Order: sequence, then C-alpha cells, then structure tokens
Amino acid sequence: MSEDDEDQSPATDLRSRNKSRNCISSSSSQTFPDHVLENVLENVLQFLDSRCDRNAASLVCKLWWKVEGLTRSEVFIGNCYALSPARLTQRFKRVRSLLLKGKPRFADFNLMPADWGANFAPWVSTMAKAYPWLEKVDLKRMFVTDDDLALLAESFPGFKELILVCCEGFGTSGIAVVANKCRKLKVLDLIESDVTDDEVDWVSCFPEDVTCLESLAFDCVEAPINFKALEGLVGRSPLLRKLRLNRFVSLEEVHRLLLLGAPQLTSLGTGSFSRGDQSQQEPPDYVAAFRACKSVVCLSGFRELMPEYLPAILPVCANLTSLNFSYANISPDMFKPIIHNCHKLQIFWALDSICDEGLQAVAATCKELRELRIFPFDPREDTEGPVSELGLQAISEGCRKLESLLYFCQHMTNAALIAMSHNCPELTVFRLCIMGRLRPDHVTGKAMDEGFGAIVKNCKKLTRLAVSGLLTDQAFRYMGEYGKLIRTLSVAFAGDSDMALRHVLEGCPRLQKLEIRDSPFGDVALRSGMHRYYNMRFVWMSACRLTMGCCKDVARAMPNLVVEVIGSDDDDVNRDYVETLYMYRSLDGPRKDAPQFVTIL
Amino acid sequence: MEGCPRNRETCPKLLDLIPQERKWYHDEGKNNTDQEKKLELRLAPPGGDEEDGSVMKKKNTKKEAEDKTIFNLSGNHFSPSNKTNYAPHHISQKRTAPGPVVGWPPVRSFRKNLASSSSSKLGNDQINKSGDGEKQAEPKREGMFVKINMDSVPIGRKVDLSAYGSYEQLSFAVDKLFRGLLAAQRDASGGEGEGKPIIGLLDGKGEFTLTYEDNEGDKMLVGDVPWQMFVSSVKRLRVIKSSEISSALRFGCSKEDKMRN
Repeated sequence: MSEDDEDQSPATDLRSRNKSRNCISSSSSQTFPDHVLENVLENVLQFLDSRCDRNAASLVCKLWWKVEGLTRSEVFIGNCYALSPARLTQRFKRVRSLLLKGKPRFADFNLMPADWGANFAPWVSTMAKAYPWLEKVDLKRMFVTDDDLALLAESFPGFKELILVCCEGFGTSGIAVVANKCRKLKVLDLIESDVTDDEVDWVSCFPEDVTCLESLAFDCVEAPINFKALEGLVGRSPLLRKLRLNRFVSLEEVHRLLLLGAPQLTSLGTGSFSRGDQSQQEPPDYVAAFRACKSVVCLSGFRELMPEYLPAILPVCANLTSLNFSYANISPDMFKPIIHNCHKLQIFWALDSICDEGLQAVAATCKELRELRIFPFDPREDTEGPVSELGLQAISEGCRKLESLLYFCQHMTNAALIAMSHNCPELTVFRLCIMGRLRPDHVTGKAMDEGFGAIVKNCKKLTRLAVSGLLTDQAFRYMGEYGKLIRTLSVAFAGDSDMALRHVLEGCPRLQKLEIRDSPFGDVALRSGMHRYYNMRFVWMSACRLTMGCCKDVARAMPNLVVEVIGSDDDDVNRDYVETLYMYRSLDGPRKDAPQFVTIL
Repeated sequence: MEGCPRNRETCPKLLDLIPQERKWYHDEGKNNTDQEKKLELRLAPPGGDEEDGSVMKKKNTKKEAEDKTIFNLSGNHFSPSNKTNYAPHHISQKRTAPGPVVGWPPVRSFRKNLASSSSSKLGNDQINKSGDGEKQAEPKREGMFVKINMDSVPIGRKVDLSAYGSYEQLSFAVDKLFRGLLAAQRDASGGEGEGKPIIGLLDGKGEFTLTYEDNEGDKMLVGDVPWQMFVSSVKRLRVIKSSEISSALRFGCSKEDKMRN
C-alpha cells in the first residue's frame, strides 16, 4: 500500500457519504457520543501532519475517515489524473494547501509531445468555489495558463504561496496578476519553469506598500526586468529572506540589492554574475557586499559568470550549506580556492567543468556533504568527459554522509560504484548517467552489473535509482532481490530480455514509479507486473517492445488503471507496436482531456 | 522541441545503410533471435558476442553539432505525417548505438545550451580546447548559425542570426561574445577586468568593425543593406580592426566604394 497518495483510501469509503452529520440535529442519545467524539477527534487530528499518518487514520472507521477529511489542510496529489478535482473537494473540506504533480518526468526530455495535458485549469476552477481560504499551491510539471493564474489571484484573498516547478503555459502577464492581486503573498517561486516573455513589467505590479514577501525566485524567467522596480520591492519587503534573480540582473545591480537587504537574506540567487554596465571603470566593492551577507547559507545563480569576480563570494563560503554552480563553466583552478572554504556545505550542484580535480577538492573539504549533482557542460555522448570514476571515488571517500547523488559522466567503472556502496551507506538517491549509451566499465570492459548491484545491495536505504551504461539482466536481478526500499526506478538502454523487467516487478516491493525507455522489454514482462500496478503511481515505457494487444489485455484486466498509448502510428502496418505506454491508477476513470495522439485503452 | 532539428537530410554515412522503412522494424518487432541479432548491422568487428564488453565499445562516429543522423529524425515521432522514423527502437535491439537520440542524455533543455551561450568565457580552457576550440553545441532550434571570428582572438564563435532582429542586436551580441576573450588576449595576466566594451562596430567609429562574407564570397561591411537581406546572404562574420578595413576588404572584394575613412 503506498503511503503518499491521498487517493489510497479504499474505493468503498469514498463512495459512501458519511451520514452522521445528518443525525446530529436529532438529539437522540445514540448520536450524542458520536458528536462529542467527532469534536474530540477533530481537535486531535488537527495535529497530524504527515500524510502517511493521515492516510492510516482515515482507514480506522467511517467517523475517522470523515473527521480526517475535515481536518486535512495540506493535500498531496502525486498524479493529477489519479482523481478528479471534484473528488478532492468532496473528500477534503478545508484544504489550505495543495501540492499537485502532473506530467511524468520523461516529459522533460522531449519524450512526450506538447499539449499532452496536466492542465491546472480544472483544478483551480473547482477549488475557487470550494476553498476560498486556499493559501498555498505547489505545482510540478503542470500546464498553467495566465488565465489560471488570474483566476487564482482573484479567488483566494488570503493566498500566500505560489510555487511552480517545471511548469509551462504561462508568461509574465500571469505573474503580474498574481503579484498585483495577492496582497498577502509570501512566496513566489518560479523554479525551472518555462515562462514566456509577454513584455509585462511584472515587478512593478506588486502593491506599493510594504509587502509580506519572504521568498521571491525568478531565476528561470527569461525576460529582462525593471530593476528600479525590483530595488523598490526589495526595499519595502522587510521579511524577504530568499531572493533568486534571473540572468538579466547584473553584478552591479546585485550589489545594489545587497546594500539594501543583505543581512536578512538567507538564500541568494546571484543573477548573471557579470558586469552589465561597463562605463564605470571602477567596479563597486563586491567583496564588501558579500561580506554583509551574514545570513546567506544558500547561493546560486552565476548564470553568465565572469570568473574574475567569483572570489567576491569568499566571505560567505564558510556559512554556506547549499551552493549551486550548475550554470557556470568554472575551471578547477578557479574552483578550488572557493570550495576550500566551504566546510559546512551540504548541497552542491555544479557542472563537470570542475573536473575530477574539483571533485577531489570537494571531497577534501566538504565533509558534511549530503547531496551532490554534477551536470554536463556539454551534454553529448562522445565528448571527452571531464569527470569520471576518479571524481566519484574521491567523493565516496571524502563525503561519507552522502545521501543523494546525480552524476553525469562519460566513463565509469564498477570498482568506483562498489567503493561508493561501501563508503556511503546513507545513500537514498543514486542516479548515475553514463552519457554514452551501452558503455561498459571502461577499465575491465565488463557490463556495469556488479557496480549497480553493489549499490542496491549495500545501500540499504536506497529509495531512488537511475541506471545507465551497459547492463544485462543480471543487474536487474540484483535490483529485484536487494532493492527493498526502491520507490523510483529509471532505466534507459538497458537489459537483455523480459526477464530483467520481471525481476524488478516481481521484486522491489516498494516500487511506485517506474520509467523505462529504449529497453528490450515486451509483453511477457508487462504481464508479469499486473499484480502490482494498482499499487504504483505510474509506469512509463517508451521505445520498448510492447504490443497493442498486450496493453489492451492489461487495460481490460485492470479497470481502474488508465492505460495511455501515446504517439502510436495508427497505420495498419504497425498498428500493433506501442511507442509509448504510460499507465497509472485512477479513481475517476480515463481523463476527458486527452489529445488526439493519446489513445486510452 | 529543442536539440533535434527536423527535416534535415541525413549525412551519407554508415548509418544510411540501416534501412529506414518501417517494414524492417516490424519484422524485428517480436522475435529478436540471436540469429537476427548477428545479422544486424553493427559498428564493431565481426564475431563478437553479446556479452563481451570490448565489442560493445561504441565507435566514435563523427557527430556533427547539427545532428544529421537518422536517429535525430526520431524527433519527428509525434508529427502525424512522419512515417519513417522508428529509429530509437534500433537502439534497444542492437548492441552499439551509433547516433544521438531524442532526450538523451537526460538533461533538461535549459541546461543544454550552456556550451553555446556567452557564459562560457574564460572559465574553462580544458573544455574549450577539445576539438577546434570552437563550441559546437547542439543548436536548440533551427537557427541560422554563422561563424564569427575576431582579429587577434584565436577562438571563433558562432552566432544564431535568427535570434536577432536588427544590426544593433547583433552588434550587442558580438560585444558580449568577444569582450572577455579579447580582454584575455590583451592582458596576459588574465585578471585585469573584463575589458572595454566593443562598440562602434557598425559606424566605423570604434576600434573594431563588423564585416561579413556573403554567399558570393564577397567581403563587405555590415550594415548597409536591410537586415533581412543581410541575413539571407551572410555566410560568415568577421570582426576586424577598423584600421585594417581597406586591406581586409580589398582582398577579394569588389565593393571598395563602401569603405570609409
């Protein structure tokens, strides 16, 4: 049974409307204790925060189910198509905060055509009527229009937090409406979203008086902003702690902003980190500006870094717990003097331009490191990789507390993975992307089976795994056998036969999210998992070996599973071949907004 | 969708030997026996078996930045009229993977263009040294990329003319591209600020002037013809010292009357 979806309650409970409310008016002695109990429960359940606990509590009996539904204020929906908005508002009456996820992750890599769905519109319109007190909306991979944002801004007078992660469909005009109408806005975070430039000066749209803003993140907005307005905004936002600027803010402008509010800031996204205005020959004292940032623990930005100014951040390095260099092409020589000071660093994102040498420096200094992400500067398959197993080995030896890893490289060895599996027992997320497809261990020439096998075997807390390189069925046998806690698995260009996927589907008891591309898994494998698809959030299989016939069988056998076939050619010759399969459980049947290229079986 | 230009022709390469008709895939669809695997085209010495890692080494086929391989056409998967692209399936069958593929490596689009943006200034010589020193990143769309070189700067760049709508924008872009590089050339210690702005490219008043070579091979000053006409005829750009205008243009040019003092 999955813990994290609110729709996990058994179907029967959801359909029966609880009648005890109707009985309260008749003051018979039978209902009186219920009434008291209900009030008591309400007061007690208010304190339950964790949705796992709440899901469990709601299963005790109908009364608990009902009261839990009344007291849940924060709802998490991992797949927007798992249920309809109407069901949400019927089940939970007093929602203040919604976290909603839409498209599957592979959509980020162009594996899904645009206009697939995940529209926010039906959600916002339903909630506008049901939850006028709504305060927070956190969306990931949803399609949000400017109209949706306008409706949101108008419908929820107490609205406080808008977080849009990897979303699209809206522009600066939608942001302007939110800025203008949401007078209690504390958080406006646009993260890795595609925001169209409507040439609207949204920064000027914030109200004139003192704002409640605590966090403003717009580093992904690819549009120039009115800096004067931003300065004014920062000046009248005394509660501002997090500010992430986009690349249209120059170093001089950052300097001016820091003069205004540096001591309060805990998180700073530095914008372009390059000089905008060249006419001043004497650059301002950036070092002093950063020295004033006594509370900054999280630093990012550097979108168009001028490396000669990088040392200006040295004063904050000792306090940093999070550093994001992943937009900056920084060489090892430039990097080492900086990282040398970052003893408290826990989260570190960077480009592979820092090379193995830079990683060794990280390993030497950052003993508290929990999360490391190394992105490729040049994401192609056949380039000379600047990072390799050497960097990984160094990290595993130096950063023993590592919990989460994302590592792009060109070459890797089993030995390095085995070492990491022993050195870093706290690993919960291990995502290795060997960019050359089907690459074996470049020292021994063997498949990467033993390396990944060691990871699943020794990292007992592993919940998320992404594999790459040359992998045979043996690797999957290891995953099935040892991956006891794995919830998310990403596979690409791996495996030899159906057995590989079978190992995973017949093992991995906690598997929730399975995404596979370009691997030789077919109908036999798909059928082998039918006993568990209801307990998973979704399964994605693209460019595998599935046939339409088998998918139809699965759809027929599992009525509460929505089986989407995307982009299949409906020409007769290849009618049987399934290009992309995306299936997920749903309480409300297939969606009504599927575009033409989606066939729901 | 970025990264995969559509409708490009395939380079006549080894990959063209792989038939593109659907029929071939369809036959392969369900029974991929060992025998058939052996008959598959590979980029490896014959006789290697599936498991041996040495056979799996992908040969380093030349991949142009523009990705003119059939696998890239798989970007057209979702367009209704396209009937010939099942390229990615070949990957799952064969043990070697010749061409680039949609969505691989799995990097989000805003991270893909770092190599071609002006952010790659002096930060990392190691990466820039690979190849010919010029950043050959995948174009993010069907852009009009032309090479641009600058006098006294050894590293050439590329600009996407479709991103600009006027000479001013182009001039500004050139400034952004080369300012740092030029400063690095001039200041041997490499740390003395990022250099003066490169201005006056179009009016002959600055230290440098922007010139171009058109499709007839003539070298001309930028700025004289309407923008669209310029874009349709330009083949490459060059930023030259203003003092050298006369000699630069004389060499292979018949339009000397455009020169100014």
